[in-house]
Order: sequence, then structure tokens, then C-alpha cells
Amino acid sequence: MNSHRYLRAYMAGSAVPTMMLLVVLTGFLIARYVFQVPIPVERAIVFPMALVPNIFGAWNIFYLWLHPRHFPIGFHGAILPFVLAPLGLELASCLGFLAATSGGLVWFHELAIPYSMMAVGFCFGLIVYYLVWKYLVGFFNGVLGIA
Amino acid sequence: MTKQNMTEQEMNEQEINEQEINEQEIKKLANRLQQSLPPMNRELDHDLWPKMLQRIDNRACDRHWLAVLFSPSAMSAVPWFDWALLAVVIVGVCIFPKSIPIWLYHF
Repeated sequence: MNSHRYLRAYMAGSAVPTMMLLVVLTGFLIARYVFQVPIPVERAIVFPMALVPNIFGAWNIFYLWLHPRHFPIGFHGAILPFVLAPLGLELASCLGFLAATSGGLVWFHELAIPYSMMAVGFCFGLIVYYLVWKYLVGFFNGVLGIA
Repeated sequence: MTKQNMTEQEMNEQEINEQEINEQEIKKLANRLQQSLPPMNRELDHDLWPKMLQRIDNRACDRHWLAVLFSPSAMSAVPWFDWALLAVVIVGVCIFPKSIPIWLYHF
């Protein structure tokens, strides 16, 4: 069980966002076709489908490399939004469904979020990532014999 | 007659010697058996609860991972602070539902 530790760490890390992808896609489709939010699903899904699972896996490898006993996994996960949020914002603006205005950010040409709310939302993101990493990724790490 | 008596005496002595030797061998055998077996403590000298927990964990390996993840024992192990954080997130999403697509995008 000591072989391929980093491969198992990658698998444990990428398992959670891969499972969440179904929820994400369902949410996008409901928002688009039920609530008529003009979400370009084919472009918006790129980030959660291609980047987030791989970054989660790589982040878990990094956690294993850092020696897990010295650093709680929840706090390690809470650092990840500092990497993911700028990447997501940059990709969204490149793909054309995020625009920065003087009042705030406009998502999907419709959802205007003031900058103050973005800061609050970022704090919420830290909480979500802390909980997800502590309980879900930590659980999968335990199942795969990493932590 | 004296010769016959002597032989009888010798025979008796021999029998006694053989009995003594047998008894000594039996004692030696008993000692070796006692040394080879670990001493038995009739009263329990340790706590059984860790073994019980280990057995429960072994059973948990056979269960479905979702059942383990959301089992009552796992739920009771979550500290109140984390429950409070989860409640804060849920309340925040309920207050500002427009943010749900953005949440989904970042996950």
C-alpha cells in the first residue's frame, strides 16, 4: 500500500470535484433553461470540468509532499481559493462571460455582483473549501491510505 | 537364601530408583510445559474499548463509503464550529441565491 502514493493522492484529490461536476452541470442547465440565465454552458463548464479536478489532485499531491502530520488538511484546502479564484476569473473574462465594471463584476451578462459582495463571497469560498477538504478530501485520503 | 534376599532388595531398590527417575522426568516435563505456555491472567488487565473500536472500524471497511461518510459516528465527530460554518454558508446562499451559478463555476 506504500507504492504510488502521489498517484493515490491525485486520485483522492480529484474525486470530489469530479463527482461535483454532475451537480455543477445540472445547476448550469437549470439556471439556463428554467431560470433563463444566459449561461454559455459549453464555455462555462471548461473551468470546473478541466481545471478544477486537476488542480485539486495536484493540491493534494502537494499536501502529501508537505508531510500531512504537520499541517491540517482543512487549512491546506482553504488556501486553494487564493489560487483558483484568480484563475477562474481570468478564464471567465477570456471566455467572454465575465466583465469588470466600475460597480462590480458582471457574470454571464446578467448577474451583477458588487466588489464588496465579491469579497464576502471569497470568504464564504474559504469556508466551503475548508469544509470540503477537511471532510471529503480527508475522507478519500483515508480510504486510499494516504492520511 | 541370602543371595535371593539380596536380589529382592536390589530389585526393590531398582524399582524405587525407576519411580524416582520417572517422577523427576514428569516434573521436568511439567516445568517445560509451564515455561512454554504464556501465563494466564484470569482478570482483565487492559481496556477492551480500543479493541471494540478497532472491530467497528474493520466492519466499516466492508460498508459502502457513503454509509461510512455519513454514519452517525462520523457525524458526531464533527465539532460544533464546523457545523456553524456550514450553517453560515447555507444561510449566505439562501440570502443571495443569485450567487449559486458563480459558486458552481468555481467548484
